[in-house]
Amino acid sequence: MKLGVFMSDYRTGADVVDRLSADKLGIIFVGNGIYRAAVKEGGSNDPILQKSATFYVLTEDLESRGLTAANLAANVKAVTYSDVVDLIFNDYEKIIWI
Amino acid sequence: MGKLTMGVFPGLVGSLSLDFSVKLAEAAVKKGHTVDYWVSSNATMLSKKGQRSFKDYSTLYKTLEELFKTGNFKACACEACAEARGFHKEDLMEGWIRKSMDWYLASSFDADRVLMIGGE
Repeated sequence: MKLGVFMSDYRTGADVVDRLSADKLGIIFVGNGIYRAAVKEGGSNDPILQKSATFYVLTEDLESRGLTAANLAANVKAVTYSDVVDLIFNDYEKIIWI
Repeated sequence: MGKLTMGVFPGLVGSLSLDFSVKLAEAAVKKGHTVDYWVSSNATMLSKKGQRSFKDYSTLYKTLEELFKTGNFKACACEACAEARGFHKEDLMEGWIRKSMDWYLASSFDADRVLMIGGE
């Protein structure tokens, strides 16, 4: 199954992702979840970025928090709402919100 | 083109997830998809007519008005949730309907994608 996961929180939800199994996993950071993609703690990226998944971040939520694509970890792609719609319909069969 | 059914369960007007869900619906409709949109609990306040806009404060009322005009967006509020919060059928914004959660479940069955947005 191709599974798309929206992560909207900075501190919670990683344990849920750890228990997910999918042939193809996509994680889309939205809301305060964008900090996972753009902030380093102790010089390290968020551990979730080490998972075998494709990572996206919603540009509008990134920029509304004063960050830009330049702040993103190397394996995270910035996307628009329009891109998210395409991901939902074209790339992932199931989508969940954490 | 596909059909996206969204269920938004918590969230006050001004909440992050409510804002996200309406903007996602707008983007989906702009791309030619149809959207069924369900709200319950505090999110039912989104269906109340007469909401005012304030400068520098996110408002979704006008976006919803435009979405309803497209004919590709249906929105339903949990009737019991609204009644419990003291607003009634006559307080409903034009375009919205009020039903039980059966509406959301029925919509989910023939949707191409379903997104349920839970607590924040």
